[in-house]
Amino acid sequence: MEYIVETKNLTKRFGKEQAVSGLEMKIPKGEIYGFLGPNGAGKTTTIRMLLGLMRPTSGSVHIFQKDLRKERIRILNKVGSLVENPSYYPHLTAGENLEALRKIIGVPKTRIKEVLKIVRLEDVANKKVKGFSMGMKQRLGIAASLLNNPELLILDEPTNGLDPSGIIEIRQLIQRLPHDYGMTVIISSHLLSEIDQMATTVGVVSKGKMIFQDSIEEMRKFAKQKVVLKVSDSESAWRALLARGMRADWDEKNITLLNQSDENVATAVKYLVKDGFSIYRVEEEKKSLEDVFLQMTKEERLV
Amino acid sequence: MLPIMSSEWYKLSKSRILWILLVGPMVGLFIGLTANFDNLGGGPNEWYVKLLSMNLTYALLFLPLITGVLASVVCRYEHQEGGWKQLLAMPLTRGKVFISKYILLIALVMVMQLLYLGSIYLVGVIDGIPEPFPLNIVWKSIFGGWVATLPLVALQLWMSILFKSFAAPFAVNVIFTLPTILVVNSERFGPYYPWAQPFSMMYIGGNTEDIFFVPWDQLLIVVGGSFLLFFAGGYLYFQRKAV
Repeated sequence: MEYIVETKNLTKRFGKEQAVSGLEMKIPKGEIYGFLGPNGAGKTTTIRMLLGLMRPTSGSVHIFQKDLRKERIRILNKVGSLVENPSYYPHLTAGENLEALRKIIGVPKTRIKEVLKIVRLEDVANKKVKGFSMGMKQRLGIAASLLNNPELLILDEPTNGLDPSGIIEIRQLIQRLPHDYGMTVIISSHLLSEIDQMATTVGVVSKGKMIFQDSIEEMRKFAKQKVVLKVSDSESAWRALLARGMRADWDEKNITLLNQSDENVATAVKYLVKDGFSIYRVEEEKKSLEDVFLQMTKEERLV
Repeated sequence: MLPIMSSEWYKLSKSRILWILLVGPMVGLFIGLTANFDNLGGGPNEWYVKLLSMNLTYALLFLPLITGVLASVVCRYEHQEGGWKQLLAMPLTRGKVFISKYILLIALVMVMQLLYLGSIYLVGVIDGIPEPFPLNIVWKSIFGGWVATLPLVALQLWMSILFKSFAAPFAVNVIFTLPTILVVNSERFGPYYPWAQPFSMMYIGGNTEDIFFVPWDQLLIVVGGSFLLFFAGGYLYFQRKAV
């Protein structure tokens, strides 16, 4: 398979601390790759190494099947990026900020208007960026990353600091990109829900190690929600459910249903009522990212 | 390289800091107009008297200090809001960025020197100095002062890239510039102190047979040597800097 981004044994050490260790990232063309991990897991460090902003301690980075060390400029010609907080020159207006970058990459001036339009900042093109809200700065950063018509777009926490409507806007924008412009996109985030709504492929890092890398469908299996029942005399209630052919787990206090479809939950409740148990609570227990990580790291050890 | 330089100039030209280029020449003008050495009596050429007093403050203090401020400015907007990471993630090499910023700086110093030349001329016109303008000497002073700042610009650029704060590189500059006042009086250390070179090379009282009023070997060893050291230091540091 041809990968747009492929890292081999990518490692970065800061003194004794191992920020990224042995990372093997594989990103197929046209995917939205969700790069997921808690803060401090090494996401930004990895992205900095992908862009050549930081040298790896060891390992290699190939983008567009080319070695980043040898063909950095040719690679970066086709890469757009937004690393951590949006970068901008505070003394310049939005349009001037893009113009300063445009002079370097040499695309036609009309491209500035185009990208401002894509992120819907055309009305404030002549305003100083200093006075922009966080969301506007973030959108300007995305506009800057689109300036060179990239084939690979790397966005580090693109929805950080945005309000809900801003998040939805950015999300819709990102989802459009592979289809409309044939781009491959990497988005990093520490929020599972964020990645869940945008990504088609997911890579999960924890403590600098890649602990999961597969399609979003595979990922969803890990993050399935649970329906928990609190009932009187839970052990016999659980046995009663099993006796009626329902699949359920029991953990001393609560019953957990393995099939969480609406019908299944309704049936389980009906049976329990019929059998004379008191039902105190029927709750949906959402799995946090931490739980998913725990599950993943557990299975990692088993493999 | 040209696209990077044009981008650098674009960013700097919008910053309105360029007025600072006028400070040195204005101070020179002021000193030239107020200096009064009539009591020396029968001085050689009035231009010499003016030049000596103007150069003293300008070359000793304002030229090296403002050079440092300019270096800080061209790095300040990169430090402020993540400019470095955006700039260096573009398809360019760090070496070209460093050289572009350096060339821009020395061009600005040249502009400042030419403005100072204008100040000298203006002083003569306003005071009605009868002798002709001694251009054959003054150009050496102007150009020599520029050459002498080349290593200082390189060091200041290095320091400005190294320190995020505006004050730190300025402090380094002041620490090295202030002792010049003492050093230029020393025959032993004066010729070897890089920060004393702008003054020595603009000092028209020096040996006029030497080009730029200092011996060739001093020019090559002190100015050339410190230039190589500071430029290579800054260049290599920037190559390895993690942003």
